[in-house]
Amino acid sequence: MIELRNVSLKYGEKEILKKVSLTVQDNTIKAILGPSGVGKSTILKLMLGLIKPNSGQVLVDGTDITGMKESSLYEIRRKMGMVFQGNALFDSLTISQNLGFFLRENMKLPEEEISRRVAEQVQFAGLEGYEDQLPESLSGGMRRRVAIGRALIFRPHMILFDEPTAGLDPVSSKKILSLISSLRHNNNLGAVIVTHIIDDVFNVADSVAVLYQGEIIFDDVTEKLHESEHQFIRSILSDKILEL
Amino acid sequence: MGGKNEKPTFTRMKTGESTASSPHAQVMPLAFIRALEKRLVLQLKDFFLTMQEFFFFSVRAFMAFPKMIRYWRDVFDQATICGTDSIPIVLVSAISIGALLAIEVGNLLEDFGAKTMLGRSTALTVIRELGPLLMGLMLSARFGSRNGAELGAMQISEQIDALRAFGTDPIAKLVMPRLVAALIMFLPLTALSDFAGLQSAAYMAEHYHRIDPGIFWNAVYPRLVAKDFVVGFLKAPVFAIIITLVSSFNGFSARGGTAGVGRSTIKGIVVSSGLVLIANFYVSKIVLENM
Repeated sequence: MIELRNVSLKYGEKEILKKVSLTVQDNTIKAILGPSGVGKSTILKLMLGLIKPNSGQVLVDGTDITGMKESSLYEIRRKMGMVFQGNALFDSLTISQNLGFFLRENMKLPEEEISRRVAEQVQFAGLEGYEDQLPESLSGGMRRRVAIGRALIFRPHMILFDEPTAGLDPVSSKKILSLISSLRHNNNLGAVIVTHIIDDVFNVADSVAVLYQGEIIFDDVTEKLHESEHQFIRSILSDKILEL
Repeated sequence: MGGKNEKPTFTRMKTGESTASSPHAQVMPLAFIRALEKRLVLQLKDFFLTMQEFFFFSVRAFMAFPKMIRYWRDVFDQATICGTDSIPIVLVSAISIGALLAIEVGNLLEDFGAKTMLGRSTALTVIRELGPLLMGLMLSARFGSRNGAELGAMQISEQIDALRAFGTDPIAKLVMPRLVAALIMFLPLTALSDFAGLQSAAYMAEHYHRIDPGIFWNAVYPRLVAKDFVVGFLKAPVFAIIITLVSSFNGFSARGGTAGVGRSTIKGIVVSSGLVLIANFYVSKIVLENM
């Protein structure tokens, strides 16, 4: 379980988050919805301890990670997998090297086990035959699937997705969303999805938090979003994609 | 004095014209000075924060040295990049400056009838100063720019965040191997730079100034003392630390897309080259005064 308690964050003079509180339960998919540049990706980085809040607490499985040293955070981070918006694949490594990179780096596993897990993820992402190619030779959707595979290979409890369908064509988007849905059903995983596309929320999320002007203005099950009277939510429900 | 509603009187804008007659003329200089003051304070604050970050970044890079064995492949790769691959540029710069030095110093010594001292003067200049300095500047441009651009691109594309997110210390993985490789390789590169510089100087002494090689080398070897080598070779690790840490830190600090990578790379080269020049002076001064 990941919990944010009254988290505030400033970049210079700009207040990004104002006393944000939200909880992500295990084995559920939570979406964080909001316009671009409102601080959604920042929330994911706070959950991983990549940045520290000015005030408030971030708890992962009950452990407060706010004041933790970088070296202590590595153990916590391995409970979560992260799929970055730009995929963040290592461009000088092949697909199979990318998939196996962190297993070789951080886990003392025999090479056979690493190869087995890499093959498993290659199959899961539908990338058979591309193992020895560099990321630059793959399409956007394929690269995103490699990034998901890399996040999954650790067998984390929770996966964090930063704009999982941004920049993808409708077919690739659909594939990625069905891949995310299958994670919970097949792998019993929880997920946090940051997005500005409202259809993504209705397609995969159990609950949704809406971030607007640095504050959470809605946090409930996805179905209740339609019942909200908030003007901003009413407008996004009619526009579907937030371009504010 | 200093009352809340008291407006300060200002100097004349033109002869005979007081600013008191123009309220805008009074407000504008004050606003300008205040804005300037605010900007200066922000820049100073930013400078000290950057220095603090650089200090901790450097400490973490040195603290990661025990992980050297784990990352030996990365150390080896970086040693190839900053060492073996840098040989051509180090040779070209050392040969050209050695030859040029022999011609110019030889001409000067000829006026005093002391051409036989060419070997000694060239050797001292090359071994103590120009050999390591040129090598430092060349590697700042070659190795430093590569570090800045590569790490900057990794920072912009969130690859460094990905390393942290999946439990790998990016400083141990990316910076420490570069630092170790530079510390190892800069010494033989300095020796190579000195050797090539002296050989080209000897060649020019023989073919341009018609000085017998025996006379040239006889003025070099017997007169060189330990101090001359200490000055020259102590600069290699100092330059290695400066170039690697400054360029890597700037790469890690890259923000704002591809233009940001360009800015951070240039900043890395400019700052490390400047620091190499300053360090070159102080290492020489300290060693020569104390040995």
